[in-house]
Amino acid sequence: MTPARSLRISHVGLRGIVGPGGLTARHGIDFACAFGTFLPEGGAVVLGRDPRASGLMLSEGVKSGLAATGHDVIDLGVVSTPVTQHAIRRLGAAGGISIGASHNAAEWNALKFFGQNGTYLSTGEASELLDIYHLRKFHFTGYRGLGAVRSESGALDAYLTELSDVYDFDHLRRFRVVVDCCNGTSGLILRRLMERFHLPFVLINERVEGVEFAHEPNTSARIVGLQLAPLVQPLKADAGFLFDVDSDRVAIATEEGDAASEEMVMPLLADYVLPRSEGKLIIANLSTTALLEEIAGRHGGTVVRVPVGRQAAMDALSAHRPEQIALAGEGTGAVMLSRFRFVYDGITSMLGILSLMAERGEPVSRILAGYPRYRMLKGQAPLAPRNVPALLLALQQEFAGGRQNTLDGLRVDWPNEWFHVRVSQTESIVRVIAERRGDAPHELYNAVMERVWGMS
Amino acid sequence: MATAREHNLKIGVSGIRGVVGEFLTPALAADFAQAFGTYVGGGRVVVGRDTRSSGPMIEHAVCCGLLAAGCEVVRVGILPTPTIQVYVGATHARGGIAITASHNPAEYNALKLFNHEGLFFNSYERGELIDLYHQSDFHHSTNAQIRGISDDLERPMRLHFDRVLARVDAAPIRAHAFRLGLDAVNGAGSIVSQRFLREELGCTLEAIAVDPAQTFPRPAEPTPEVLGEVAALVRDRGCALGFAQDPDGDRLAIIDETGRVLDNNDVLALVVDAVLVRLPGDVAVNLTTSAAIDDIARTHGRRVYRTPVGEANVVERMKAVGAVIGGEGSSGGIIFPAVQYCRDSYTGMAFVLDRLAATGEPLSSLAARLPRYFRKMGKAAFAHGRLGPLMQAVEAAFPDAEIDRTDGLKLIWADRSIHVRASNTEPLLRMSVEARQESVCQDLYARVSSALG
Repeated sequence: MTPARSLRISHVGLRGIVGPGGLTARHGIDFACAFGTFLPEGGAVVLGRDPRASGLMLSEGVKSGLAATGHDVIDLGVVSTPVTQHAIRRLGAAGGISIGASHNAAEWNALKFFGQNGTYLSTGEASELLDIYHLRKFHFTGYRGLGAVRSESGALDAYLTELSDVYDFDHLRRFRVVVDCCNGTSGLILRRLMERFHLPFVLINERVEGVEFAHEPNTSARIVGLQLAPLVQPLKADAGFLFDVDSDRVAIATEEGDAASEEMVMPLLADYVLPRSEGKLIIANLSTTALLEEIAGRHGGTVVRVPVGRQAAMDALSAHRPEQIALAGEGTGAVMLSRFRFVYDGITSMLGILSLMAERGEPVSRILAGYPRYRMLKGQAPLAPRNVPALLLALQQEFAGGRQNTLDGLRVDWPNEWFHVRVSQTESIVRVIAERRGDAPHELYNAVMERVWGMS
Repeated sequence: MATAREHNLKIGVSGIRGVVGEFLTPALAADFAQAFGTYVGGGRVVVGRDTRSSGPMIEHAVCCGLLAAGCEVVRVGILPTPTIQVYVGATHARGGIAITASHNPAEYNALKLFNHEGLFFNSYERGELIDLYHQSDFHHSTNAQIRGISDDLERPMRLHFDRVLARVDAAPIRAHAFRLGLDAVNGAGSIVSQRFLREELGCTLEAIAVDPAQTFPRPAEPTPEVLGEVAALVRDRGCALGFAQDPDGDRLAIIDETGRVLDNNDVLALVVDAVLVRLPGDVAVNLTTSAAIDDIARTHGRRVYRTPVGEANVVERMKAVGAVIGGEGSSGGIIFPAVQYCRDSYTGMAFVLDRLAATGEPLSSLAARLPRYFRKMGKAAFAHGRLGPLMQAVEAAFPDAEIDRTDGLKLIWADRSIHVRASNTEPLLRMSVEARQESVCQDLYARVSSALG
């Protein structure tokens, strides 16, 4: 079923359900022309896509738009978004475009734009790109200055070589790991990783598919519990990992066959990265678990809380020197490491967690058991946008005793629990998240939800 | 003044054509392809192109539009338009798109659209397609409806060659081992023509402008004024004749062994004669084409049908009357249905070599035996709204002529004719005068010009 607002054009790019009333060929072409106009004249652009059938259609349009605005196109074909970002830097390209809808269902697609060095666009740059798109005044070069399109097949190997420089694969070889690739790009990456570095991974749902994925490509604990966790013990695996289609997110199943909450990816990585990182800052959004503060505290780190969404994380990154920061990310399992130049990358996250297991000599269940217990409740309710300010005001008054943060909706913190109410960017709903150290925060959650339902 | 306007983009019943860049954009090309894909209703669609530098860019846009419409794209790469048309028909595709601005300069590009038989759409279909484009009433495929792209780069050429070679006696041509000049304007014929003439017909080539990676070294239309280099080559290197093509290989110019570029009407006349020797049947040509065709058809006891100017018009009539050969003498277009209903330079090459091999005569003497006419062509700009009075003035100046109003105004006498018609693309009147005597031709031309003011 098509949500009321499937097409979304914003600072993070363009996404929607492909087809009538949603994302069309024309959107892809016009955005590519805008991006070609936005970039410095003449620089090459790297292009990659996930395996969705609509990706081919969009990539043809994107190539045309980039060539028409005078940019050579380096086409990587079907690769993960992080591989595309890596290639931009390695090839000295002016920018890049990744076509893929990440954790969304097969009928979705999206375009993400990167600047030189493979970085996400800053808010200022993204605004300029949007303005050019909306004006549709593109800088077309004449027939003499058109860009050329060429294919490049070495991007994956160059990316893997960098991973092997950072992670000690000899230490990881002892783990038997089962990976659910969800018919996405992680299958291609891990198959090659296994060939080159002889890692004993077991891949399921490995074949890349364009139309039907084996299951919802979502890195939530629910999907892990349904699809991957039941396989871990029968396969005698030390851990299980599940990727979304373009491999920027990852989720974990323990060796005991339990689905770890997607919220645990970031604390595990913080635990691994902080001791070996000069930077001690962690950038996380307001909805991400408070366990992060505790883990950070163990290693002398500090958590900087930012609004939900990639663009807010990017703005926070750009407000600091790169060497100050250890990692950035969100509770969905999308994490960027400073060592890999702040790219959401599920593969580097998985290797980081395996490295932590190797270092501690403990299975992932035991590492998680060593963390204080937090429980989170999540919910949503319909609310007309015009009623949002009144709801937030009412909540501020009702929960005046806590520490309030209004950067993105309202978050209220007490020493052992917090809640966050924010407005969805895609639907007319508000999302409610409450977390408590110890048992689940039913009382707080119910109080907030009651207020929300009262307004809707 | 109307003619001062630059005609950088034209979207109309004959498709879309324009200067690449500000005018012919990726979005326009993709939209048009998506309209086309919607019109043919999905299925397999063939995409090929000539050698213009904008070809790949437009091709990506076209593939995007076709995929969005739910079509399965078969790319055939750089090929002459007739080869693409043969392939579309032979492989039972749903349709085809050739990315070429034909004889227009290098800064232009265009889409030529073909139906499931590899033919241009008829005028009613073209009207429907352009309406669909203007309404932006496209099919937008969902992810599950989107098909893929495949390549078939070798088969089209083979199919085309085989069809042509089945209609001539190739063995004597090979036995003659003709030395030929070739100017392919670095177009789609660059590779194909060399293979056809060398490997299929055993010729030795003095070839220029056969590098598809280079730009057009001369104006794209193969008119006598721009073929000096290949003409000199033919004369100086002892070639039996020379061939010159336009960038998409549908038009053919021929140079005799003395280095003289034959009139396009004479090229068509030679081929009509050569075909009628082998294949009995009638002929269809456009109104501007020379009366020499009528004379030749008469010697074979055959009839000539006249049509409005334009390949699609000629093809439509040829199909209706079952003509075995036809074309447009005014622009070097030879249409031979036994190969495909399209302008095909390779049919022309094969039949001329066939005649040369069969008669053992040099081309100049074959040409000299053609019915002799003198021709003069010209054009005159007119202000919008003035077309009717101008046509009436011409008609009034020649009250004794027989009149044909199928396309503009054609005035016909037993030994001479005048054809005046408005261009489809510019506010221009095209004049064409033909007569048995040169003085009569000059006199007629002067009188038409003065009638047009």
